[in-house]
Amino acid sequence: MTPSSLAVMCDHVPAVLAAFDSAQISRILNSLGQNLLTPIPLCFLLGIICTRIHGGIKIPKELYLSIAIFLLMSIGFIGGHELAHEYQAHGVATIWKPALVTLLLGCVTPITSFVVLRYLGGFSIADAAGIAAHYGSTSAVTYAVANSFVEQTGHAANSYLPTLVTILECPGIAIALVIGAALSARERAEKAAASGRPVKESKLGEALYEVITGQSIMLMAGLLVIGFISTIFMPEKGLEPFLEFFKSKGMLFRGVLCIFLLEMGLVAGEKLGDLLKVGPFLVTFGILMPLIHGFLGVYLGHLAGLNLGGCTVFGAIVSSASYIAAPPAVRLTLPEANPTLSITAALAITFPFNIAFGIPIYFEMAKWVGAT
Amino acid sequence: MQLFPLKLVTVVGEAVIMEDIAEEAVKLGASGYSLTEIHGHGSRSARNVIISSGSKTLKAEFVVPMDVAEKILTHVSHTYFEHYACIAWLSDVQVMRGEAYLVK
Repeated sequence: MTPSSLAVMCDHVPAVLAAFDSAQISRILNSLGQNLLTPIPLCFLLGIICTRIHGGIKIPKELYLSIAIFLLMSIGFIGGHELAHEYQAHGVATIWKPALVTLLLGCVTPITSFVVLRYLGGFSIADAAGIAAHYGSTSAVTYAVANSFVEQTGHAANSYLPTLVTILECPGIAIALVIGAALSARERAEKAAASGRPVKESKLGEALYEVITGQSIMLMAGLLVIGFISTIFMPEKGLEPFLEFFKSKGMLFRGVLCIFLLEMGLVAGEKLGDLLKVGPFLVTFGILMPLIHGFLGVYLGHLAGLNLGGCTVFGAIVSSASYIAAPPAVRLTLPEANPTLSITAALAITFPFNIAFGIPIYFEMAKWVGAT
Repeated sequence: MQLFPLKLVTVVGEAVIMEDIAEEAVKLGASGYSLTEIHGHGSRSARNVIISSGSKTLKAEFVVPMDVAEKILTHVSHTYFEHYACIAWLSDVQVMRGEAYLVK
């Protein structure tokens, strides 16, 4: 990291701000207020405060894991159900473009992240690739929060967004890990030759297999297929209890999302102490990169036919960083990468930024590009 | 009561590598292993990441003869000590039904 590289990143801020006039800025501030004063971000804030003052909130691990399972199943099932309706109404005509854009962005975001971190930030190959893997993938919880936000504003996202979340989960991690493993292979070989020990075999294949067969993908994609099949083959009456249990507008989903965000706040609060260790470049990166990726998501999502809510949620998921699937995969494949950097950036910078400020900003960006 | 003198190899490390270590130890001659989730703090524990089961740090234990213990310790130290938060130690133990650990 160099001061000049930080200055280059910061130079872009006025240009981005200049693109918005004062009315738009006031609308963004209004959206921010509307978003911040709702239970979900406030629970996250409570978790952070509690950790910082050594408060007594403790979410049992089993409850947290159970809620994660419920949220993933719910996102998948409702996504599959809505996808089936979309498919019955329009076939694949409305879905293929957003799916293709998702795949494209899944490939682009890890590369832009790697290039910025390696060549502007001066991070090592392993650290740059490790952080890029987190930013190339997505966060299902950010999706859930963004989806709740657009539902509250009365602009529900397109029904197939959960499908896009599933598509976005893997390629980013895979591309960043392949870049990291390929570029650091020579360094490892030289090191092994110097120490006289055999070259350690790469665990890239094992790590990618674990990402693809991990809980997030298996539950979300699995329930998506189940939701799709059951909507097509089951009578509406028989499906009702399942929809009632899983629906994202429902009492259960919103309530457990609050508990989950409380736990996320407790964890993020612990990581706040690491902000000083990661340095100003990564803090700036953790805020500006999501804005750039978010804008790309919003704009390309709009071109692919997403509605206002859809563009907002799509911007949020493209900008978000994975902190569940990516860390173990990076740890296995790039052991020399420092996980404090990537996890702090994803969890203590980008996640809170998106929850508090990013989502309303993507909402305004979506209006700005003309999404309706 | 017959007790068999054997070695207990204990490895404490990041959850992400401990299942691999357990399986590799079996390939090196251990007849089995126990994995336990533990909590604590160490000089490199900030490196630990949470795996899908929610675990961050695991402890693996192997009751083995001396020659297998040496192989496990050498393998773990060469493969994992450089980049992972991981520690291993060896203890003497007196084991009932110890013949099960000697046959491999």
